[in-house]
Amino acid sequence: MRAPVRGVISIARVALIQVLRRKTYWILLGMGLAQFIMFWSVIYAVTQLQLPAPVQQNILREFGFSAQMDEQRDNGYMVFMERQSVVVLILLAFSGSLLVGSDFRQRTLPFYLSRRIGKRHYIAGKLLAVSSLILFLTVLPALALFVEYGAFTSGWSYWRESWRIPIAVLAYGGVLCLVNSVWLVSLSAYLQRAAPIAITWSSLLIMPGRLGDYLWKASDNEYWRLLDPWRDMRLIGQLFFGKFRKDFDRGLAWWALTLIAALTIVAFIALVRRVRAVDVVE
Amino acid sequence: MLLDLQKISRQFGSVQALREVTLQLETGTIGLVGNNGAGKSTLLKILLGLLPPSSGTGTILGFDIRQTGLQLRGRIGYMPEAAATVPLLKGVEYVALSGDLYGMPFRDARRRAHEVLNYCGLGELRYRRLDEYSAGNLQRLKLAAALVHDPELLLLDEPTNGLDPAGRMSMLRLLEDLIAETGKSLILCTHLLKDVERLCKQVVVLHQGTIAKSGPIDEMTRAAENRFEVHWRDASSEFLPRFRSSGGTVLHQEVPSDATALVALPETWQAKQLFELAAQCGTVITRLREDDEDLERLFMRLTAKETKGTQELTA
Repeated sequence: MRAPVRGVISIARVALIQVLRRKTYWILLGMGLAQFIMFWSVIYAVTQLQLPAPVQQNILREFGFSAQMDEQRDNGYMVFMERQSVVVLILLAFSGSLLVGSDFRQRTLPFYLSRRIGKRHYIAGKLLAVSSLILFLTVLPALALFVEYGAFTSGWSYWRESWRIPIAVLAYGGVLCLVNSVWLVSLSAYLQRAAPIAITWSSLLIMPGRLGDYLWKASDNEYWRLLDPWRDMRLIGQLFFGKFRKDFDRGLAWWALTLIAALTIVAFIALVRRVRAVDVVE
Repeated sequence: MLLDLQKISRQFGSVQALREVTLQLETGTIGLVGNNGAGKSTLLKILLGLLPPSSGTGTILGFDIRQTGLQLRGRIGYMPEAAATVPLLKGVEYVALSGDLYGMPFRDARRRAHEVLNYCGLGELRYRRLDEYSAGNLQRLKLAAALVHDPELLLLDEPTNGLDPAGRMSMLRLLEDLIAETGKSLILCTHLLKDVERLCKQVVVLHQGTIAKSGPIDEMTRAAENRFEVHWRDASSEFLPRFRSSGGTVLHQEVPSDATALVALPETWQAKQLFELAAQCGTVITRLREDDEDLERLFMRLTAKETKGTQELTA
């Protein structure tokens, strides 16, 4: 008999099978892939093609891409992950109901929880499934781009000088996986149906940002911008990449980290309470 | 010994779901019956190791119910009452997932999934998605998912619920075959007492959190041999007291003034002695019928106060 913790992997594997069986989700996965190919092409163009320097600069500026940690522009890998996050947002908005909501709606939880796993394994399995989706769309392609850039530059200097990049990609990816998976699974456990989840998920991630922008402009107080969860996650990412657009953002990043951590803890507690409330035997 | 529970109680706030339940059951087929709120669900949760009792001790399949929930569930096959389907999965994947979650290695789970699906008559449907399964086939699929790891004990929660008559008969036949061929122990939790009579050798009747009766169904019906339903008129006030003083028992009388009662005669008596006693008391027995008490009537009698008007039990 395998350890119950292996059930976590089984739950995540089945959840990914469910997502891959929905044809509409392939469109979103295709969008993510298209973006990856675009960045891949940019790296190929600037490293392999003999383009005039101004053209190269234009291409890089257009994509906001920099392969280094210490330049004025945003790090290209982080820009890529951020752009992929839009695809992730849409994908998660529609998969919450399938992956988690249906377990509550169709009373599938008794099936899971009457097996040789506990409620914590079920929660971990679902979080792992959502995290895997995020990982496939953000972290793995970002690392592939890093490897591509390193492979296309001659010598070992890029690898030596940029050793922090893959660590930062993994750390930022970890934040995206953890935060988004806990928020989505928790929201889906309560709302269960696709439309309410999609509307609420999108609203939670977009509306506070707009409100924060409005309040920021009206009061000239930068802290209002912390209301934007995507921006908060980006600020946390910048902590790992070590480069901020403004010095003020560095201080703000720690506030963002505190805020996102608090919200994630609250969402996790709500999720645990929701799962614990399920009666296996009805 | 299948299970041994000693003074198990469970309290939810001010509600006492189980009160000092003591129960020993040997391996075999057992029906667990009771009205809504009798404590069946709580007992099932304790049997599955999902809920610790507030007090009391016990073992199931030799496992301590307080400390070995996960191990215990690895030895029990549970078929939930709920639909419990996983969208977009195929039948074989669903059963293999069940095996995975029971702790089987992936390949073994997959291989066993094919075997049990064939056994449950779903071989042809195993590559269909779950949303294409009929209610009857879905019940069979859930049974296959409970059987995949070859458990020592099957715990079936309303396995024929929601099935049409043909589907119900088919499911019962499958369960009968399963019991006959594998000799597995089975606890059947249902409101359909006819299903219990057909499948089970023993029954446990729960009532208001306590065991109202438990034992072999055969013995319970054998005990009915000396029981009669008596109707009379011109009853003198002496008739029932004298009957009792002769060693007879009035098992059930709706209202004390009723001229109808279910009685158990003293062991040495036959019906003739009852007529003689009635004649001595100036009472005329107008009808005497051997009590052919089946499980349904036994259940109604044991839970009489609460089951008045509860029609689903007689379905």
